[in-house]
Amino acid sequence: MSHSLPVAKALQPIIPDGVLVRGRTVLCSGDAAMSTALLAVSAATQAGSWLAIVGVSDFGLMSACEQGVALQRTVLVTPTANKKDWTSTVAAVADGFDVMMLEVPQGVSGSDARRIQTRIQARRNVLVLVETSRHATPRSVFQPDVVLHTQTTKWDGIEHGAGYVQGRHIDVTVSGRRVPRVMQYVLQHVG
Amino acid sequence: MVEHIGASEVTRVAVISCTDWQAVAAQCELYSRKQWFDAVAVLHAQRVVARTVYAAKQGVQIGMRRREAQAVCPDLHIAANNKERDRLMFESVVRAVGELVPLVEVSTPGVILLATRGPSRYVGGDDALAQRLHGITHNALALLADGRPIVFGVGIADGRLTALVAAHAADGGHLVVEPGESAQCLAQLPVSVLADFAEIDRDVVSLLHRLGLSCVGDIATMKPSDLVGRFGPVGLELHRLARGYDRHPPITIAPPPERASTHRFELSVEDVNVVVATARTVADELVTHLNNQGVSCVRLHICMQTDHGEQSDRLWYQPEGLTAAAMAERVRWQMDAWIATRGLTSGVVLLRYLPVGLRAREGRQLGLWGGSTQADEWAARAIERLTTMLGSDSVRVAQWRGGRDVSEVFALTPAAVVDMERRAESVVIKETVWSGALPTPSPSIVYDEPLLAVVNDASGCVVSVSGRHELSASPAHVVIGRHAYNVVSWAGPWPVEERWWDPLRQRRAVRMQMVLARDADDMVRTTTHAVVMVLEHGEWWMTARYG
Repeated sequence: MSHSLPVAKALQPIIPDGVLVRGRTVLCSGDAAMSTALLAVSAATQAGSWLAIVGVSDFGLMSACEQGVALQRTVLVTPTANKKDWTSTVAAVADGFDVMMLEVPQGVSGSDARRIQTRIQARRNVLVLVETSRHATPRSVFQPDVVLHTQTTKWDGIEHGAGYVQGRHIDVTVSGRRVPRVMQYVLQHVG
Repeated sequence: MVEHIGASEVTRVAVISCTDWQAVAAQCELYSRKQWFDAVAVLHAQRVVARTVYAAKQGVQIGMRRREAQAVCPDLHIAANNKERDRLMFESVVRAVGELVPLVEVSTPGVILLATRGPSRYVGGDDALAQRLHGITHNALALLADGRPIVFGVGIADGRLTALVAAHAADGGHLVVEPGESAQCLAQLPVSVLADFAEIDRDVVSLLHRLGLSCVGDIATMKPSDLVGRFGPVGLELHRLARGYDRHPPITIAPPPERASTHRFELSVEDVNVVVATARTVADELVTHLNNQGVSCVRLHICMQTDHGEQSDRLWYQPEGLTAAAMAERVRWQMDAWIATRGLTSGVVLLRYLPVGLRAREGRQLGLWGGSTQADEWAARAIERLTTMLGSDSVRVAQWRGGRDVSEVFALTPAAVVDMERRAESVVIKETVWSGALPTPSPSIVYDEPLLAVVNDASGCVVSVSGRHELSASPAHVVIGRHAYNVVSWAGPWPVEERWWDPLRQRRAVRMQMVLARDADDMVRTTTHAVVMVLEHGEWWMTARYG
């Protein structure tokens, strides 16, 4: 098993090491969290890894397809509302899928999060957490290795009554356990 | 590929069928909470999948969106789709019928099938049996809804399809088709009944129409070899169905005795999950065994016994063949129903699978170089495990369908029923451009439940769009929930007109893209969101966001 999974070209300069290192947790937050998360997993799915999307509400399949996520290797899992079952569901997903995209529901405790992260490290998966601002959680219970905090600064192509959304400029702040110092990047992104 | 069909091979069955059971179950559940609604519709993936008779009379149709349905029937109560509820509510009917006939088959909640040979002799003829079943069902349903009428029909005929059609045609009563008259009875019906009642693909039915075969009788008069030549194996099934036989010929060779798999638990087990986990391993062995003989199981008899001698028998049917995961899921359903209705006095000690309906397995040629990787195998195993844990509706994959709305382009189907080795074909985008679709890139957050919004112009008046798709004024402020936003820029409006020929299901709406900024934010930099807004029936909705 290789040590890492590939990542889309646009994210290579931004993500530490330029690849998704197996066993790590990546947190995407801010107003472009979903797009960044999709971009982060797309190259890996194209290279043959399977992606499980667990409990992510309002997921835009069309956008995922446009950003290069291989939908034939993507499975959407809806865990039950029960918190105890949530942990066992995630553990079962970790057994079979290289990449997991999670939206953490309210009420998941720190110890559950640690247990899942240990599992991820043991099974050599990659965990991508999505924090959409609609369900603003105060602070993640997970200890992410890489945090990609996004803020859109400019929308391209749309004007006062003309054009359409063609792309955006995103400020990405990179931090986390595996990042020696906080870095700022500008990502020009379509989607 | 000519097949000889003897008259004896078609079984005479009785069908009890409640139309739109999902809606009726929702109605009964509401009633159990002391609320009664005449008009109830059940929504799944934003579309009406079932509605009560009253709602249907008001014009609510299957496939409508929530707002279309509410527009034609304002007092409509919307319920979410809940398979668990459908099964539990139906259980009282199944149990009542089970008092008369010990072994019944429930393939979907709302439809009961049973072989008439024994019961018919017992009560004295098919007519008497139909009457008895009608009476039993009527009483059971009356208990659920306190005597309010629930529409159901009873049909007795040779073969599944004819019996189902008869039950529907009975229209609240009962209908018996005399032995040997099934083919005549079906002959005059449109071919769409094959899709409605026999799970034939809609595409095939539409092709039949275009080929000029509009009645079932037309198919019966064709040569089976011609049908096979045009449609492949489905052609033979169509021909069988049209002549009143079951879709798959029953296998006439006596099956080997070891096909029944029995598992005896050393200690009685009370936990459903443990029973299901064991059921899964037993099912795995059974399915491997059947596969080796080149057959798959379409009808399965599951029998469970407790320590105290209580027994639960049920038949399950799946025309595509039951996988091991599907078998284990059926065990879970049967257990749940058993516990909910009767309450077990002790744990389960015996579990037996008896495959009673087998069909030849469609051979699948594996890729020359193996075709699947280690990752594919692991994923397939995890999918099966998750399906057993969460139910097949919670583990889903995308399939391309096409449409103008971003939410419509891909449909989600349970992974358990999809051939995971041929997945790549089903997500290929076949027509890239639908006229009237949003320009790409697509929004990455598509709300399952659109959010109601208020869009005002600079003077505080609500922005409207004229019949010629002109904005009344530039949008300036948007309120969604408790948050107020300023409109930074916008594009559109782009009209959406769908099904203008159908007065009930037509849809007129306009879409706009807007970039919104939070109002009066004390942060140094304001956050902006690009969203998709839809104006329909005079109300603005936020349907998607570029997240």
